[in-house]
Amino acid sequence: MNGRKTFGGGRGRAAQGAQGKDGQQRRPMFRRRKVCKFCADKIDDINYKDTRLLMPFVPERAKILPRRISGTCALHQRKLRTAIQRARQLALIPYTAE
Amino acid sequence: MNRKYELVYIVSPDATDDQVSELHTQVDGIVQRMGGQLEKTENWGRRRLAYEIGRHKEGTYVLELIHGTGELMKEIDRRLKVFELVIRHLVVRIDEDQDVVERMRSRRTEESRRRRVARGLPPDRQPGEGQRGEPDDDRDDRFDGAEDMR
Repeated sequence: MNGRKTFGGGRGRAAQGAQGKDGQQRRPMFRRRKVCKFCADKIDDINYKDTRLLMPFVPERAKILPRRISGTCALHQRKLRTAIQRARQLALIPYTAE
Repeated sequence: MNRKYELVYIVSPDATDDQVSELHTQVDGIVQRMGGQLEKTENWGRRRLAYEIGRHKEGTYVLELIHGTGELMKEIDRRLKVFELVIRHLVVRIDEDQDVVERMRSRRTEESRRRRVARGLPPDRQPGEGQRGEPDDDRDDRFDGAEDMR
């Protein structure tokens, strides 16, 4: 009964643990809640031909941006993955970057 | 069973325009012969490839929309592998994905119409509506940092 309220389950608890260990100044960190771009913009069709849409999800190394960073929901990440893989086959998007 | 397919192939940059259209007629010929339909063709023109494919840095992209059977696409796939001029090709079945997209879209509009009616508004957005000033990002509750509240 310490009067703490943690919303958002696991993530909140993890942040708490990290701060406790370091014993550093407890300052409320305001992280923007990530929102799936495709849900927010109501994009249903993730097409492999639309490189402009896909490019933000393949940063410099040309690897697919993980969900934990982009905040994309599971459904859309799955669709994004297939779209990127198809675009790679057609040399629209690189597999790697030197 | 008629299905909808999308075919994209990359023609070598050394090919002339005639050779590209010749390839198109070849594909069309196979489609006709096997009882399919060619719905649309798009030539994207010469584009830089994201990586080299067999010493080529550029290629001409051609997209074809085909109605037909799996057998037909198998045949086209086999034939395209043989052509030296085609450096890469991809066949994708699109009818199912299109259905899913269509369903999601209609469900969304239906839902928003239902909600609007429940709020006592006409089901469709009226002209000039929803343009009261700039959208206020901070007020948008999707972005509230709920997880770090304590």
